[in-house]
Amino acid sequence: MIALLPTGLALGSAYALLALGYTLAFGVLRRVDLAYGATILAGLYAALWLRREAGIGSASVAPAMLAVTAVAGVLVDRLCFAHRAGRPATTAMATGFALWMVLQEGATLLLPGHSQPVPPLFGVADGLMMDDWLPAGMRSAHLVALAAAAIAAAALWGLLHRTRPGLAMRALIDNPAAAVCAGLPVTRLSLLAVVISGLMGGLAGGLIAGIDGQVGPMFAMTATLKGLAAAILGGLGSLPGALAGGLILGLAETVFHSQLGPQGRALSASLLLLGVLALRPAGLASLWGGGGAAEV
Amino acid sequence: MDQLLLSLLTNGGLLSFLALSAWLLLRAGAVSFGQQGFFAVGAYAGGMGTVMAGLALAPALALAALAGAVAGGVLALLTRRLRGVGFAVASLAAAEALRVGLELFRWRVPGPDGRPVGPDGVGGFGGIRYLYATGYTAADMALLVVGVLALVLVALAALSRTRWGLALRMAGEDPVLATALGVAPRRARFAATVASGAVAALGGALFAHYATYVEPDNFAIMQGLHGLFYALIGGVATPLGPLVGVAFDLGLMEGGRLFQGYRMIAFGVAVSVLLTVRPCGLLDERMVRRLRAAGRRARPTLFPRPRSTGPAAGNTESVP
Repeated sequence: MIALLPTGLALGSAYALLALGYTLAFGVLRRVDLAYGATILAGLYAALWLRREAGIGSASVAPAMLAVTAVAGVLVDRLCFAHRAGRPATTAMATGFALWMVLQEGATLLLPGHSQPVPPLFGVADGLMMDDWLPAGMRSAHLVALAAAAIAAAALWGLLHRTRPGLAMRALIDNPAAAVCAGLPVTRLSLLAVVISGLMGGLAGGLIAGIDGQVGPMFAMTATLKGLAAAILGGLGSLPGALAGGLILGLAETVFHSQLGPQGRALSASLLLLGVLALRPAGLASLWGGGGAAEV
Repeated sequence: MDQLLLSLLTNGGLLSFLALSAWLLLRAGAVSFGQQGFFAVGAYAGGMGTVMAGLALAPALALAALAGAVAGGVLALLTRRLRGVGFAVASLAAAEALRVGLELFRWRVPGPDGRPVGPDGVGGFGGIRYLYATGYTAADMALLVVGVLALVLVALAALSRTRWGLALRMAGEDPVLATALGVAPRRARFAATVASGAVAALGGALFAHYATYVEPDNFAIMQGLHGLFYALIGGVATPLGPLVGVAFDLGLMEGGRLFQGYRMIAFGVAVSVLLTVRPCGLLDERMVRRLRAAGRRARPTLFPRPRSTGPAAGNTESVP
């Protein structure tokens, strides 16, 4: 079981990024975006298409993936959630799902087929032959995930705790009413949050797809579900909670996979999510009195 | 009768069960992304009833509905403390967990001819041939589905007029006001979840006997979403709302051969636009009132009312 730790943590760190993007969007915008996984799928497929059809090099494709995910996220936000007056949150969620359908079919039209092979970091690390000296079960994709997630999380922390926009965002997450009264530019901050959340999601998607080695249209739903599971486990709106939730999900998945096979992996996210909602909907953050902003 | 029409009727009817189950919860003010889970429970329970327990159709359908109700009860218990968003997410998680669980569920018994029958995990559950073995044709199938659907519709319409039905609607429309008036929204949602489970499961059992083979992939999120969208599009005011939604989608599918590879996109865009423009659906309360009033005006009466306006003059059109 201990041998599973490194791979579980690697997967978990990718999920942590996913959850961070989710929880940031929720904390600032106060809504659950069910099209999140679909925007990530759009970014991934766009990147794969660019690499395969347009022959663009691996190194340039990753920024394209991040950009497409961010743009798709902004579009979804404008379409679903911007005109929220008078509409219940759950209808907005349903509209998010409708957009998920659109994005998923769009992706399938771009690259038809059940699944597409994905090299880790789109082939940038191909020549390095890292697999030989990694512990058993670990591949270069896992190492890439750990490193990239650590860097991204650190960058996010730096943004939030060392810059003025970051301070403003934290204030907005903490107390939206007070933030408005203090004259914070809520619309601009919301846009920033959507963009950052999209970038994190795109990166997370690339890392997860790299670990899996392939991606299919169903990735949209599984990414959404796992992001939700990790974010809610940690406490929606809590950034440290999202980190913890993601790592726990990654470990749980790896353990379930070793016991029950691939179905076990798929089962772990849903069961974890259901369990958290049934037993402690406010998530882990409520245990340490953290910045959870959940109203689940 | 035209084969295409029969298959449209049957498929539309089956989808209507799913849509009606989502509708029940919408009336109680809850959105569920997990109705496909109850559909699956009914399909497997009903199938196991006829194939493995040798039940006739009616007992098998009853068993399926009961199983669906129990599943609804379980979900309701697990989610009793959750509000709208949490409930929606929990229903999604539960349905997905169930679906993956079915991929691991194997219960094989020797069949009548010695070969094993029963659910076989990822391999699905085949051989649900009870109806066709007793001589059902496509027309009989359509009639069965439409018949059971009609019964469910009548039951739901009747229930909507009882105190319980009104309480449900109140709880869904304005939980705070409902609580102030003595209606418990949580209990209303609980009851609606159990009932919606039964309705969806009934449809699932019929689906299993129509298709003769079901597998976990049949009960993916897309199925439940479609049901929810039909109910959202059609409107919450009347049980006919979800049927309008089904007709809308089938019209899009059949009438829109031009949407060949873009059906999801077309449907998704249509739903987004409709939900933005008419968030309460096509047949919301105001529309239903207007239609009823138009119906009353169109019907010839033996003793026509005097032509004046206002409630004092006997004009009842302002009464909801």
